[in-house]
Amino acid sequence: MTVPIDRPTFSESWYRVASLRPRLRSAVQVFRQHFRGQMWHVLQDPGANQFFRLNDTGYHFVGLLDGRRTVAEVWNVCNEQLGDAAPTQGEAIALLGQLYTSNLLQADIPPDAQGLFRRYRQRVGREVRGYLTNLLFIRIPLIDPDRFLDRWVGVFGKIFSAVSLICWLALMSTGAYFLLGRTDELGNQAMDILRTANLPLLAVSFWIVKIIHEFGHGFACKKFGLQAGGGEVHTMGIMFLIFMPLPYVDASSAWAFRSKWHRVVVGGAGMFCELAIAAVAAIVWANVRQPMVQALAYNCMFIASVTTLLFNGNPLLRYDGYYILSDILEIPNFAQRSKSYLYYLVKRYIWAVRNPKNPANISGEKAWFVFYGIASTIYRLFILIVILMFLSDRLPDELKFIATTVAVVSGTVWLCTPIFKFVKYLAISGELARVRNRAVTSTLLTVTSIILAVGVLPMPDRVRAVGVVEPLGLTVVYSRTDGYVANFLPSGTNVATGSVLINAVPRTGDPRQSDLFIDSLNSELTAKRQILKAEYDRINKQGDWALAETEHAIVALRGKEAKAKKEQINRLENDIRNLTIRSPTNGVWISPDVDRLKGNFLQTGQQIGLVANRNPENLIVRAVAPQEIGALLYELQNRKNHTIPLEIRIKGRPGQAFSGKIDKILDSAQDVLPSAALGYAVGGPIVTRPDDRQGLMTAEGFFEIHITPQTDNAGASGSEVMLLPGQRVVVRFDMPKKPLVAQWWRSLLQLIQKKQ
Amino acid sequence: MSEVASTTWRMLAQRTGGRELPRGLDAAWDAAAGMAQRLLPRTARFLRRADVVLDHEEHFATMTAAKLRAAGEEFHDIFRLGRNTSEDLLRAFAMIREVAARQIGLKAYRVQVAGALALHAGCIVEMATGEGKTLAATMPATVAGWCGKGCHVITVNDYLAKRDAEEMGQIYRFCGLKVDYIDQETPPPKRREAYHANITYCTNKEVTADYLRDRLAMGRLRGLSSSLLAHIADGNQSGTDRVVQRGLNYAIIDEADSVLVDEGVTPLIISGQAPNAEQVQAFQQAAGIAGQMLGDVHYRVNHKYREVNLTKAGKTFAAELTSQLGGIWAGQRRTEELIVQALTAREMFLLDKQYVIQDDKVVIVDDFTGRLMPDREWRDGLHQAVSAKENVEVQPPKDTYARMSFQRFFRMYRRLSGMTGTAVEASGEFWQFYHTPVVVVPTNKPCIRKQLPSRVYATQAAKWRAVIDEISRTHERGQPLLVGTRSVRDSEKISVMLTELGLEHVVLNAVRHAEEAQIVAQAGQPGRITVATNMAGRGTDIKLGRGVADLGGLYVLATDRQESGRIDRQLAGRAGRMGDPGMACRFVSLEDDLPKRYAIKMARFLRKRHRGGDETPRDIAGPLTRRLFNRAQRRAEHTAFKQRRAVLRTDHWLDEYLGFAGIER
Repeated sequence: MTVPIDRPTFSESWYRVASLRPRLRSAVQVFRQHFRGQMWHVLQDPGANQFFRLNDTGYHFVGLLDGRRTVAEVWNVCNEQLGDAAPTQGEAIALLGQLYTSNLLQADIPPDAQGLFRRYRQRVGREVRGYLTNLLFIRIPLIDPDRFLDRWVGVFGKIFSAVSLICWLALMSTGAYFLLGRTDELGNQAMDILRTANLPLLAVSFWIVKIIHEFGHGFACKKFGLQAGGGEVHTMGIMFLIFMPLPYVDASSAWAFRSKWHRVVVGGAGMFCELAIAAVAAIVWANVRQPMVQALAYNCMFIASVTTLLFNGNPLLRYDGYYILSDILEIPNFAQRSKSYLYYLVKRYIWAVRNPKNPANISGEKAWFVFYGIASTIYRLFILIVILMFLSDRLPDELKFIATTVAVVSGTVWLCTPIFKFVKYLAISGELARVRNRAVTSTLLTVTSIILAVGVLPMPDRVRAVGVVEPLGLTVVYSRTDGYVANFLPSGTNVATGSVLINAVPRTGDPRQSDLFIDSLNSELTAKRQILKAEYDRINKQGDWALAETEHAIVALRGKEAKAKKEQINRLENDIRNLTIRSPTNGVWISPDVDRLKGNFLQTGQQIGLVANRNPENLIVRAVAPQEIGALLYELQNRKNHTIPLEIRIKGRPGQAFSGKIDKILDSAQDVLPSAALGYAVGGPIVTRPDDRQGLMTAEGFFEIHITPQTDNAGASGSEVMLLPGQRVVVRFDMPKKPLVAQWWRSLLQLIQKKQ
Repeated sequence: MSEVASTTWRMLAQRTGGRELPRGLDAAWDAAAGMAQRLLPRTARFLRRADVVLDHEEHFATMTAAKLRAAGEEFHDIFRLGRNTSEDLLRAFAMIREVAARQIGLKAYRVQVAGALALHAGCIVEMATGEGKTLAATMPATVAGWCGKGCHVITVNDYLAKRDAEEMGQIYRFCGLKVDYIDQETPPPKRREAYHANITYCTNKEVTADYLRDRLAMGRLRGLSSSLLAHIADGNQSGTDRVVQRGLNYAIIDEADSVLVDEGVTPLIISGQAPNAEQVQAFQQAAGIAGQMLGDVHYRVNHKYREVNLTKAGKTFAAELTSQLGGIWAGQRRTEELIVQALTAREMFLLDKQYVIQDDKVVIVDDFTGRLMPDREWRDGLHQAVSAKENVEVQPPKDTYARMSFQRFFRMYRRLSGMTGTAVEASGEFWQFYHTPVVVVPTNKPCIRKQLPSRVYATQAAKWRAVIDEISRTHERGQPLLVGTRSVRDSEKISVMLTELGLEHVVLNAVRHAEEAQIVAQAGQPGRITVATNMAGRGTDIKLGRGVADLGGLYVLATDRQESGRIDRQLAGRAGRMGDPGMACRFVSLEDDLPKRYAIKMARFLRKRHRGGDETPRDIAGPLTRRLFNRAQRRAEHTAFKQRRAVLRTDHWLDEYLGFAGIER
């Protein structure tokens, strides 16, 4: 029978510790820290680099244990001095137990050696399990840099001083100054950074920058350790961040520093160094013209600024930024306590658990906990998805299994394990004993409503396809002969049948260039004919039929020669005629790139442009839909009395929408794009065959959808934007409403199909 | 360097704490293994082997006493040297069986031999009461005695320890073994001698207490190696001469379910006085303040969880009243704790139910057995709070020196076996906690007890009236009755009602065990009415008087359902032992503790449906009520099981975390 008191004074196990005379191990160092005005004591075991944080009353109790007083005596003293705040017997036992299992406590009797080894094994086991379950972030300790850092801290430690801060600021401004003038170049080169050719250089730069980053932490930690005690740095190694090897250093001994600014500087030291590198690299990049050096400088600059600020500086990830934030806010163990505070809110307000443990000590912490707990969870999920997409996108097919493995493992670790733990907690936790029904009901309600919202409630379902606008009655104009463009008619000009669109000239040095050439050919032809005639006459006169056999063959040959000559002449004349390209029909001459053609060489058969009727009602949108979407649309379209509502938006001008109607859907056998503009080769979304230079052949078949746009709508809205032939558009089809799960499932299937 | 007996070394080398309970997948595997092992046809195997033992009967029956003794000596050598084969075991059992027949005139039946074999194999044996468990235990005990590492036969009380040791002693002595017993009065030197005998009869309390005292005597020595070091360093005996036990090797536990399960988590505490006048006064003041507080205004009572909570008004009220007192009352937390304790004592602890007043002292009544526990105290000041409420002298809380639960203690034995009348229900727990399988041995003669259907009443008043009616009706027939109650209060109530009707009866609560057993033994006489709390006189034979068998044998009338089906069965098992006729019936009401605590909603619903009609008690038994009681009982069992498991886990947690404090004493 127990009495329901939140903190019962007595414990039935008290007798086990009451007469002991334990004390902190002599090697343990104690540091005082202030967090939001509250005093805490950090106990550090320098050997194992383990930390233990004690609040004031806890330390009051532990501090009095000196190996001479018994636990019972100390407890009584605490009770007299601290009153209600004094630890209860149960709390004192738990505290002693925790200190003991952290190897911080020694008693007057020999320790349980077996237990020590068991705990060691358990810890190693936990670490190994941690590695296995966290495939994306594996750490392998390699060397102990402590002595190296000790030797050089005198030199490099100076980096973290007021003087060097001023120098740093100056360096930053110089770097920024050089960059400001060359923003466009900066942007252009950014395109190339992930090019295959650049990757080895990028990796080298990355390692250089990150090693300096890590040593920045190491030296900062050492330097302030010299000032305030502690600051040992014993582990350095390789961390595999998403299978990418990176150096890391364990500067966690900085947690014991008394001044929060020291801790902040240790946390920021890496970024501080990296930004300095970025500034130097910027100066080099702007002033050195040697391409190799410039490329290296550019890479360094990119890594040391962008990746640092995005990853290291981001407090939502558990890197430098997080620790800096936690130190500045004076909220130790920020992430974990945020999470438990959210749990606490649920327990307290939704489940009505009696006296749940509140992890927030001071009111100012609460808002931070709520914000950080929610933001970091969402961000973590987001990052995981991005990483998975990246992996499945960039990995070659043979290595796709890595992405799958990572997805499965992280799915288990980040989704299944918490769910399993949560269900277990709901089912058997002692804390919920009285409110279990309420907790289970509210959880079920929440889960059910989510399932309903996601799995049953029909939601608007929209699919998108890209397309091009084309005129309905159009004639494509091809070049019929090789030649250089000399003159052209500007695109958009109204033309009649026979109007000259392009004047071309033959290549310089081409013998066909002058009419003389044709004349000479003509005279050759006349000569040939005359010879032929003479021969013919001679044979007829001789009447020697025996001889005539051979002679006749010769004549035939001559006749052929003459005929060939005649054909050559005809062709040449035709070529020359064709150098002038004329409009085949009435309409508008459309050739968006025609102004670039001047002076360019035209190949036979090259598409130059088209002549189309300008009437806007005669426009057509040819949209390209991948198999999955196309099939759906096809099926829908064939249903009776069903029109698929759709919306057309011009790429780059999303403000204006046009309506339209599906005309017809050509089924999946299509594999030639209506326009190269839609293809992957020129930046469109449709994957084309790599061996197709024109970028028109798609890698897989698609559905082509012809849509008649209704432009009167656009006119009504008074917008000046109009659909014009040649424009790229995005067509949005409104499918029948469907639950989100079905929509997501379809997207997933598409993703998988695409990745195969 | 002085010499230390090897038995002491063995005590020092004794492992402390049993196998850790498996967790996670291991636990699932273990549970599955527990399920699977139940399917083994153990009973059939033991019965087959028992047949082999019986086949040896002739061989030994024809021997002269001297030859038999010589055979015993031969076995002694074989077992001591560990050269025994399984065939030797069967022959030895046959020989012991013969010795028992000659020395005390009891020849073990086939089922008893099978039970004995199961005990030897380390099982929990379920044998119906009256089937001769005491005799069955002699066979494995003798063999264990021959092995020479000691054997503890654990009985439920001192009286039985003494009686069994004396009655069975002749068998052991004939086999060349020393047998001894320990009871409360045994002085320490005698205890050491008794523990060093080959076979020791003792109670669970004594053996656990001696173990704890030994641990205290040995100081904070951490097992054999540290003791050896201390011995070499100090050069003296360093406390080892005060050690009385010699290691925990093999135990045969009588009433194993009661010791290992029901009382499993009851801690045995070695404590000493710690006078503290201020605290004593505080308890009295708290009782005074609690007396001024009003229910539902200052505090609320939660019956389901058996606790009292202060309201805001109550807290202010308490703070006002104690503001002038100072001392212990200075702190708010301690103040509220004391007052809640006093209120709990007032609301939850009822005179004659949870405790009685004896010699101006509060004495706890055991929930399960209904027995008085004069040497036990509620902890953390609750005992003082109850004493203060009753205005008897408040003893200051004692200082604990050492404590250990029976569960934890018996898990330390290298080999453990037990016997009881009811074990199957707890076979899961036996396997999980002790890794002992349960073997059910059939009765020698088929059981012909009539289990009458339960009678259910809407209110307690109706139930009591029905009980009295049934008693008088049965009494008129001359059939003897044993009325089982759950608490002293209930038996007093029945006694008063029976006295009003002028029915002669015996009430059995909390007297000395010897008399208790005798009274219960008489319960089979014609026309006798015995009112007893649940487990009174457990382990005693109730022999039927002349002519009683024709009246239908003993009628066991249970006035309540217990928190465990096992205990219900035990009570019913009082009737119809050894093939005698007998009857058993349960009278329950919807207002009983069990439905009130574990199926309150359903009970309330049924009560509403069967309202009224208190004048003539109406039996409302039906499928719904059956379900209600079964469910409540199952819940109670499960809750108790979880509690016991939690205690075991907490023990391990403490060991892990308090490694610096040395082993638990």
